[in-house]
Amino acid sequence: MNQESNKITLMLMAGMAGMLMLFISILLIFIFMQRKKLQYKMNLQALQNAQKNQLIAAAVRSEEMEKLRIAEELHDEVGAILGASSLHFYGINLDNCDETSKEMYAKSKSLLDEGISKIRGISHNLHSNILQELGLKEAISHFCDKIGHSSLINISLDLQDRHNTKASPDDISIYRVVQELLHNINKHAKASNIHISSASTNNQLIFTITHNGNGITQNQFEELRFTKDGLGLKNIQNRMIMLKAGLNFSEQAGHYQIELKIPVGERKPNDK
Amino acid sequence: MLKIFQLVLDWSEVWALFTPITILMVKQQPAKLKLVVAYVWAALIINLAIDLVWKFRMLLPADYNSNNFLYNLHSTVRFYLFSAFFIHLQQPFLVKVKKIVPVCFTLFMIINFTFFENFFDYWKFSNRLLSIEAALLLFYVLQYYLFKINDNIGTKITDNVFWIVTGLGIFVALNFFIFLLYNELTIRFQRFAISLWSVHNISYIILNLFLAKGFYESGKQ
Repeated sequence: MNQESNKITLMLMAGMAGMLMLFISILLIFIFMQRKKLQYKMNLQALQNAQKNQLIAAAVRSEEMEKLRIAEELHDEVGAILGASSLHFYGINLDNCDETSKEMYAKSKSLLDEGISKIRGISHNLHSNILQELGLKEAISHFCDKIGHSSLINISLDLQDRHNTKASPDDISIYRVVQELLHNINKHAKASNIHISSASTNNQLIFTITHNGNGITQNQFEELRFTKDGLGLKNIQNRMIMLKAGLNFSEQAGHYQIELKIPVGERKPNDK
Repeated sequence: MLKIFQLVLDWSEVWALFTPITILMVKQQPAKLKLVVAYVWAALIINLAIDLVWKFRMLLPADYNSNNFLYNLHSTVRFYLFSAFFIHLQQPFLVKVKKIVPVCFTLFMIINFTFFENFFDYWKFSNRLLSIEAALLLFYVLQYYLFKINDNIGTKITDNVFWIVTGLGIFVALNFFIFLLYNELTIRFQRFAISLWSVHNISYIILNLFLAKGFYESGKQ
């Protein structure tokens, strides 16, 4: 009787331990396999992101190269032809001409000068020599001078001196984003006062653009990203992905603010 | 001190249920967990009745002071609700088997309680019913893990269903042999059988903690 009771107790204990062991083993296998699958999925995602970033970087690079090529063609070919035309134009003798001809000459000369100036403007917009030679601070300052003068906008700058060096590929992207944002502020927000400042923390470079126009908030920006397929927004997005940067739109007391945060730790060693 | 601890354990089948119920009060649950939610409420009513009958057995008429049939009822309710829960998870794995199991269980109940046992037995609960219920629920739990292991979609490991299934798995794995041999043990070593029921109570607390965690997780999703 006692032996049989002990046998039941032993069976019970062994059974409970066996069941628990079986359950725990399957649970551990389950957790191990799920973690492995998740790891694989994350690696795949990282690989896809890296490929996507490489494609964007290549697209942005080729866009810059194309801009440079067009800028050089315009400057060296069309600019040179227009310059030579202008020289020849100045050599025309108007002594024996009537008043109508003189008027037409003056009009043509002014149109030719305007054409030369426009070609130079487009060429500089496409490829900023100032950015290449003097750096981001000078390029942004020069660009602001141009906008401020042409459309009666007051633009103030408070940029760090660290941008006062030769441009890196990242600086070109930052310049393009700032350029696009200023274009949009000018075109859509109709701002009369714009302030651009920059600051840097240990691992971030922060550009802040504040304006008094009819700007947008972060939610509106997110909506525009999905509803509009404008080239400007696409350009901004691609360059943000390439820079691994963040863009934040906000509004405070009637003033709109755009904050561009670029991680400096992620930049390549040869970048400035 | 030991007496207080024992009292707390004795009533654990009721108070442990208040952990998932508290979460249910705060967080709305998705449709796939409705059957588990139904189990929690049903279990609260049945367990409360079990403990009240046991506590006031001296005051009740002799024919009505046994709570053993309520354990049978709890086991039946638990099996049907959890088997329906597993079937409604829509996992394309052993689909037919999962649907046949409740039918087999129903047949077993009809045959067992018609010819072999009495559902309303005054002296003991049906250890055959409880142990078969535990084995079948363990089958459902294991097939859930096996499906997830074979599944190619890598999702978050610890989602709401995982916590519920794991809690149930621990409970049935620990209790299968307790249910199977409990009646035998009460005849041979009553004291040991009573202390073994504390293991059941502890595993029931664990089940409820896991249910609460599952309900809490679904609030996050």
